[in-house]
Amino acid sequence: MTAPIHKPPSLPRRLRARAKTVLKLIGYFLHPARFVLAPMLIVLLLAGILLWLTGGLAYVAPFVYALF
Amino acid sequence: MARVLGISAHYHDAAAALIVDGKLVAAIQQERLSRIKNDPSLPIAAARACLEFAGLAPEDLDAVAFYEQPFAKLERVLVNLLRNLPRTWKQFPRALASQLGSKLWVLDHLAEQLFVARDKVQCFEHHRCHAASAMFVSPYTDAAVLVVDGVGEHSSTTLWHGHDSELKLLASVDFPHSLGLLYAGLTAYLGFAVNEGEYKVMGLAAWGQATLRDEFARLIRLHADGSYELGLEYFAHMSDAELGFGPKLEALLGPRRPANKPWEFADPSDRVSRPGSRPDRHYANIAATLQAVLEDALLGLARRGRELSKSKNLCLAGGVALNALANARIQREAGFERVFVQPAAGDAGGALGAAILAALALGDPRPEPLVSAALGLPIDASRALTIAHELGLPIRRVDDPAAFTAELIARDKIVGFARGRFEWGPRALGQRSLLARPRERATRDRLNRLIKQREPFRPFAPAVASEHVERWFASPPDDMSPFMTTVAPVRPDVQAELAAVVHEDGTARLQTVEATRAPELHAVLAALAERGEHPIVLNTSLNGPGEPIVARSEDAIAFWLRHAIDALVLDDLVIERPT
Repeated sequence: MTAPIHKPPSLPRRLRARAKTVLKLIGYFLHPARFVLAPMLIVLLLAGILLWLTGGLAYVAPFVYALF
Repeated sequence: MARVLGISAHYHDAAAALIVDGKLVAAIQQERLSRIKNDPSLPIAAARACLEFAGLAPEDLDAVAFYEQPFAKLERVLVNLLRNLPRTWKQFPRALASQLGSKLWVLDHLAEQLFVARDKVQCFEHHRCHAASAMFVSPYTDAAVLVVDGVGEHSSTTLWHGHDSELKLLASVDFPHSLGLLYAGLTAYLGFAVNEGEYKVMGLAAWGQATLRDEFARLIRLHADGSYELGLEYFAHMSDAELGFGPKLEALLGPRRPANKPWEFADPSDRVSRPGSRPDRHYANIAATLQAVLEDALLGLARRGRELSKSKNLCLAGGVALNALANARIQREAGFERVFVQPAAGDAGGALGAAILAALALGDPRPEPLVSAALGLPIDASRALTIAHELGLPIRRVDDPAAFTAELIARDKIVGFARGRFEWGPRALGQRSLLARPRERATRDRLNRLIKQREPFRPFAPAVASEHVERWFASPPDDMSPFMTTVAPVRPDVQAELAAVVHEDGTARLQTVEATRAPELHAVLAALAERGEHPIVLNTSLNGPGEPIVARSEDAIAFWLRHAIDALVLDDLVIERPT
């Protein structure tokens, strides 16, 4: 018996998963207590698309967990 | 019955932990496999190693649980950036990159890289994961649980009541007020690396005196209900990811200590503060005051937890729970009968907590109490043999590795000891250790000079057979001592016999060793006793400066090639340095 071959999901599946995450994120910020953050979230999402298109960025610093 | 993988990642100490049918099967920090100290990256290698050890494939998993809620974290980041404008405007691009480049999609990334269905990946609140990681592997069915770290999603300190398989939140302190960030800020001020140098600050504290109480009263205010507030004007963790403290702190305490500058008070007579003499005593006094204030704060929180929970037991978790000095004081003074800290109390432990919470949600019982920290991968002796032969190293088998190790230790040799599965958490507990005779201070100096290259004020720890503890130490074994998460006073009449492991304050961060918990190390101690030697050894981690602790055979042999130890024991294989 051979072990199953594990392949990363296809691009359409990955995009679907990302779209679901974005919808859940929007749902989270639609709560009245967080509504004030919505404009910032829109900017973030637009910037996120740009980052995704450019391959993303990573940043590590000592206090990154406090700030980011 | 479920198969659940817990994951912590993205900040520091990434890890994976696997629960199968309610049993903790494996728990591995990513740094051990990647060989990058405090590796924060998504722990795919650690997760796959856990699965391989258990003989499972990714599709066998019922759930993957992440130790933090990404949306709640993003909310706190956004609120903090807005609240602290304009100081934070420079951080916006980096915050965007950090959140949108990876953190927001972490559950998707886990599903894709672990080859599991996305709907099997879930997340839990950071502090609840910490609380679960302590409570649900503790020996208690009822306990107060105190979680203290830098920050999770919103909270930096939480108090819980744990009962059977339930956790109920009692109280919390939210960011930006944080004991973890207070300690981290002062760690940076003292010139140490944050998330790594906190142990050094704790060691440094014994060389100073808590003479700066008035200054620290401005940095943190402790309230009667156990809560606290930071003097935020002295800190920068709300707006600066690099430093953590602001110019007002330097105005209050003096200029920061430059990183990597040699320390200048190796002589114990320098402990007493003499104004105008060596400036490093001032920094030692800062460390001592910080330690005293932290202990006061933790004591207040622990006592509040006892009032609210009415429990006789306490579990501690979060990075601050790795402060062994504070844990010992809590055990003595907080009024609890028993105190437990699991060995990976920091962020790595969040993986364990997440796995347990997901397993409980799927109907599993809570795991058995944690007996041993040996939850990693075993030594592969055949691979060690192959590598050693390829390198032409004089490797051979011995019939009784414990007796062989004891003989070398009795001859004042330094032995690398790698047997069994490697440890969970930052402490070497006899599975990947350097062992030596604890009698001579010269042994400590030799270890420091040849291998560790530590600051002169940092202590080494003893490991003692638990049946002999009270001969050497003034407190009996407790629920923390098998995991080296507490300290104990060394009896004054034997301190001279343990010169290599007694710290400047007369304590030692001891490990009590039982045959059921750490059989390989216990066998060495028993063999020492059989030879008429004391059943106690100096036990420090099998790694060089800046390296993660050894995990696999090849790491151990690489360590042997780089460092001048006398012998390396790998399972039942031995390599000796010619005399």
